[in-house]
Amino acid sequence: MRSGEKSMIDQPDPRAFVDQLVARCGRERDQVVPLLNAVQDQYRHLPAEALARISQVTDIHPSDLLGVATFYDRFRHRPAGAHAVRICHGTACHVRGSERLEEALRRDLRIPDGEDTDPDARFTVARVACVGCCSLAPVVQVDDLTLGHLDTRTVTAAVMRAEAEQQTLGWSDDSADIGKENGQCQVRIPLDSCCLVSGGGTLYRAVLDHLRRRRMPVGVRRVGCSGLCRHGPSMQVVEASGRTLSYAGIDTADVDSLLDRHFATGVLGRGRFWFGRALDWMIAGASEQTEHAHDPACREPDHARLEATQVRIATEHYGRLDPLDLPGYRSCDGFAAWRQVVEVANPAATIETIIASGLRGRGGGGYPTGRKWDTARRQDAGRKFAICNGDEGDPGAFMDRTLMESFPFRIIEGLAIAAHSIGARDGVFYIRQEYPLALRRIRRAIKLCQEAGIIGTGAMGGRVDLRLSVREGAGAFICGEETAMIASIEGRRGNPSLRPPYPVERGLWGAPTLVNNVETLANVPWIVRHGPAAFARFGTERSRGTKVFALAGKVRRGGLIEVPMGTTIHQVVYDIGGGIVDGRRFKAVQIGGPSGGCLPASLAHTPIDYEALTAAGAIMGSGGLVVLDDRDCIVDLARYFLEFTQNQSCGKCSFCRIGARRMHDMLMRICQGEGGHQDLDDLLALAGQVASGSLCGLGASAPNPVLTTMRYFRDEFLKHLEGRCPAGRCVDLIHYRVTDRCTGCTLCAQACPVEAIAMTPYQRHRIDDAVCTRCDACRQVCRDQAINVE
Amino acid sequence: MPRITIDQHVMDIPADTTVLTAARQAGIDIPTLCHYDGFPAQNSCMVCVVKVNGATRLRPACSLPVSDGMVIESESDEVRAARRTALELLLSDHAGDCVAPCRNNCPANMDVPLMMRQIIDDDLPGAIATVKADIPLPAVLGYICPAPCEGGCRRKAGDGPVAVCLLKRFVAEQDLAAADPFLPDCAPATGGRIAIVGTGPTGLSAAYYLQLRGYACMLYDANDQPGGAMRYGIDRDLLPLHVLDGEIDIIRQLGASFFMNWRLGRDGSVHDLRREHEAVLLAIGAIDEQDGELNLPTTRRGVTVDGRTFQTHWPDVFAAGGAVRRTRLAVRSVAEGKAAAKCIDRYLAGHDPADVNPTVGVAMGRLEEQELVEFMLRASPDRRLTPAGGLQRGYNSDEARTEAARCLQCSCGGGCDCRIRQLATEYGCDLKRYRGTRRPYARVQREGGVVFEPGKCISCGLCVTIARQLGEPTGVTFVGRGFDIHLAAPDGASIAQGLGHAAQTCVLACPTSALQFDPSSQPVQITTSIPGAEPMP
Repeated sequence: MRSGEKSMIDQPDPRAFVDQLVARCGRERDQVVPLLNAVQDQYRHLPAEALARISQVTDIHPSDLLGVATFYDRFRHRPAGAHAVRICHGTACHVRGSERLEEALRRDLRIPDGEDTDPDARFTVARVACVGCCSLAPVVQVDDLTLGHLDTRTVTAAVMRAEAEQQTLGWSDDSADIGKENGQCQVRIPLDSCCLVSGGGTLYRAVLDHLRRRRMPVGVRRVGCSGLCRHGPSMQVVEASGRTLSYAGIDTADVDSLLDRHFATGVLGRGRFWFGRALDWMIAGASEQTEHAHDPACREPDHARLEATQVRIATEHYGRLDPLDLPGYRSCDGFAAWRQVVEVANPAATIETIIASGLRGRGGGGYPTGRKWDTARRQDAGRKFAICNGDEGDPGAFMDRTLMESFPFRIIEGLAIAAHSIGARDGVFYIRQEYPLALRRIRRAIKLCQEAGIIGTGAMGGRVDLRLSVREGAGAFICGEETAMIASIEGRRGNPSLRPPYPVERGLWGAPTLVNNVETLANVPWIVRHGPAAFARFGTERSRGTKVFALAGKVRRGGLIEVPMGTTIHQVVYDIGGGIVDGRRFKAVQIGGPSGGCLPASLAHTPIDYEALTAAGAIMGSGGLVVLDDRDCIVDLARYFLEFTQNQSCGKCSFCRIGARRMHDMLMRICQGEGGHQDLDDLLALAGQVASGSLCGLGASAPNPVLTTMRYFRDEFLKHLEGRCPAGRCVDLIHYRVTDRCTGCTLCAQACPVEAIAMTPYQRHRIDDAVCTRCDACRQVCRDQAINVE
Repeated sequence: MPRITIDQHVMDIPADTTVLTAARQAGIDIPTLCHYDGFPAQNSCMVCVVKVNGATRLRPACSLPVSDGMVIESESDEVRAARRTALELLLSDHAGDCVAPCRNNCPANMDVPLMMRQIIDDDLPGAIATVKADIPLPAVLGYICPAPCEGGCRRKAGDGPVAVCLLKRFVAEQDLAAADPFLPDCAPATGGRIAIVGTGPTGLSAAYYLQLRGYACMLYDANDQPGGAMRYGIDRDLLPLHVLDGEIDIIRQLGASFFMNWRLGRDGSVHDLRREHEAVLLAIGAIDEQDGELNLPTTRRGVTVDGRTFQTHWPDVFAAGGAVRRTRLAVRSVAEGKAAAKCIDRYLAGHDPADVNPTVGVAMGRLEEQELVEFMLRASPDRRLTPAGGLQRGYNSDEARTEAARCLQCSCGGGCDCRIRQLATEYGCDLKRYRGTRRPYARVQREGGVVFEPGKCISCGLCVTIARQLGEPTGVTFVGRGFDIHLAAPDGASIAQGLGHAAQTCVLACPTSALQFDPSSQPVQITTSIPGAEPMP
């Protein structure tokens, strides 16, 4: 727990700290966010002395400094408790109860209303828009440690435990394969953020330990995401015969026997093997457990179909590549496209290839990538920039994080090709600060590429000058909008500006600037290597190739998937996701995050295709796909997204700043049972005007969740006007009651945090409705299913 | 040169011109709040949106450059509706009172705070002009009005309302006692003759304001003395007769003729009056007995009129006051007489008699306790003063000044001149359309000749840009994000300090009255360092 250990007494003098920092970072205006990030890292807030010193010793205007320091969520202006607890309020976490979680945590830590820190100043609890660990929802971060799969009863204990634990990753970014020389036998362990949250680091150490102890001739490789995000930690075993098997949801205690089963020799080893077989059945036997194998012969038919639905382009070689093993990446055709582009030296032809492939922007808008490159290339300017947009902020999305963590070299290669094609010598990665592992790996990968002469000044045998740098966000969703991102990089508040001029004409520092999304760039090397026709073979008429989705919510198998365009939502939810958890009814899918919409189960046969989704009222978005079941309230979800957008609005234009707030006010009234029919009409009218009048895409798309939910679920809105919430979510409209199935076991009375249930053994319990906070704890503990929500 | 079309005007405009500038060249006024000539576009208020080439998304004219073939709609229903919504949204988060609550509560809408300032400054001629602009019988009302204005006084919730009614009486009685009482300047005679039946508060009030507008008023009344219920309907101890006679005499001096002992029906019918006058106003009070005589549609309540114009069944016959709706409130009758006079004036000038664009105004409503404490800091802490000579005698000059100093001056300093209110009026905004929690009233900063009222700031960003552009070393910025952004200066400086020398330009640019010149400080020479930087018309 890095930051937690620093007590305030050990802190350096802010003035001296700032002076050193400025000496290192520079005094230019665009250093404002890096400087503030460093001060925040050090002190866990921005001390006033530090801010005053920064405006003294840098070129940053004092009013700009104040404006920027208060724009981003990350910066705090009051001292914080010893540990930062961030409760994720992403879509997947929301539908899995993050609000109840926060309520429980705040209650247990005795944090007073209106405060964010407990009386002992141990924990400061804050909300975070989304940490991108959606398949493990609900998620809480304690300092650098992320905890997943929490509920109201376990959250406080987990946070306390996290305080006591030391988190060590157990491996360094530099280490590549261990024991590579030992023949074909290999264990591959995915170590991206999701897997680390599920205990991937511990698994990795346990495997290394066991192999060393038993002196097994087996290599261990750290790999990127394997797509089993919801069921981590996972590992893949490659036997000497070449047979490959995947295990998911592994308990570290079972590692020894599992390894013995595959790699043990001799009588003792065989014994362990048979024992392992029995264990295997226990681990992977039940259908909920994801036994997942690469060798088709070993797969269950169900799994074969699952894999057949997917096509791996952006995630090519997934689960096999070590994210930071440059030779490994090159041995899989890595940087072959880059070499080809540099050697052929015909940027127009490269752009022609991209245009012909039909690749469109994967960040949401769907603008044809090649055409954007072409416009950028035609700009007559001495300096141009290419930016990789890694500010994936949509709650419920984690594709870009996973791609950057698992395939950093591929993204670099894509950005290098883009920059080279448009004539830019500067490439910038803008990555959100909530993705520390992605930041580390991209930085490290850039360094490795520079050392290998792949990028940098005079790279590729002196044929290329390409400088790549990384800029870190500080917690502002709006900075994913390209003009806001440019403002942020230049050291201003992240306010969008009117387009035209488009960034490709006038962008960063006034120079033509190409902004592409991570996934878009991840497709580029493959297209260059295989040619546009191979790419265009996948997908539909106007949406070519594949799309990576972060599948989360109420599906049985959530995780990172890549499917050809044109795949239907039904296929994704049932064939890949394995259907709905707990045997509930599939209600809707939220696609495209806060800019997208909710499509009902009746539209599940809509193909995934830019035009088809837009026609249905949703958008492709960046690729968040949250599945909802019949216990999810659609009105509450619309309110949730409006809360998100109005929190994340930069506050510049009237329609978004006030319009989104007024829409949220109306939805609040409806969720509290105080809405009237007039509110529905007003809401619809205002939604239309906010959509047409807002300055940038955030405001223009903010009404989408409202418009689609009102279009497809009007009944549910009407029920709320009558004071009923059919899904049993809106706390002001529901009541908890004990039915006559109650046996008087007192479990609920013990679990109730507000003593709304009297301790009456052997008698049917009663819930005092006036005291009850609808925290759901009683229903969760009841063994007799005797608690109803009405 | 790009050729563009704005609302059917085709014109050739140099590239790099914005749509706003191009429209102005064509004489089309696109409204805007956050644009100020000479400074970069803010595109924050979005009141200047236009529809371009039929696209769904509307664009801000202030920063959209023209391009060849552009077809722009600026006055279509869709565009006007969007502008109206933008204004309504901005005003839904604009904490202030355009008009002081006392004035809002006064049926005659008298400018109470201005009168208070004039009393404090010993400007009694100014004060009586202020009073008579809305109430022609202030001394009379000073005795008999139940003072609904005082019910609205913000100080009522604290240590008792300011004695508005007594102070108004003080101003009016001082005037009546003077050698040359206040006589307003009347417009040149229009030649129009108007019959007013009834000389109660409604009739007298209408006569006063019609004379003012150049009409010749003939007042008819069944009694032998004018004054109606004010003379015959109330306890004599309540209202001294010389006060009533004095104020009626002023109306006579303005040129009104009185025909007493003239009873409708007995001495002439409404039709007779119509023949001899351009318009007739029935101000006859409650109508029970005369039902049959009127020959006009009536209900149990009174004469049926168009609520917006006071017109009866015949367009040239108007009715107001008790004849339309029974009231015990003389001030309401006075107010209706005034309003009817305006309608008659518009009718005779050939316009729509109704007030088609009533000025809209925001109101904060009830204050929280803490907010009231902030408010009370603005004025004298004394408690309400009882006149030493008794209520019937009223205040003397010293007492009047002391009591007037208790006024919190709640009305907006910008008054009707502020741009957002003008536009809200022009676009007919409904200020109640977006309900929501009001932002808290924040303390007004008064420093260096500039007043900053945070509640009224609409976050347009002009002052931020102007201070930056004029090279202010401290400057101001927005703090926070989203709905909660607000203006602040760095390092604990005040807004006035942050704006520094740019403050004057910022005050001129401010589209609301969030930034104003301090009326209590010495007048300052206004200079702008940007050529052509003129305040918007």
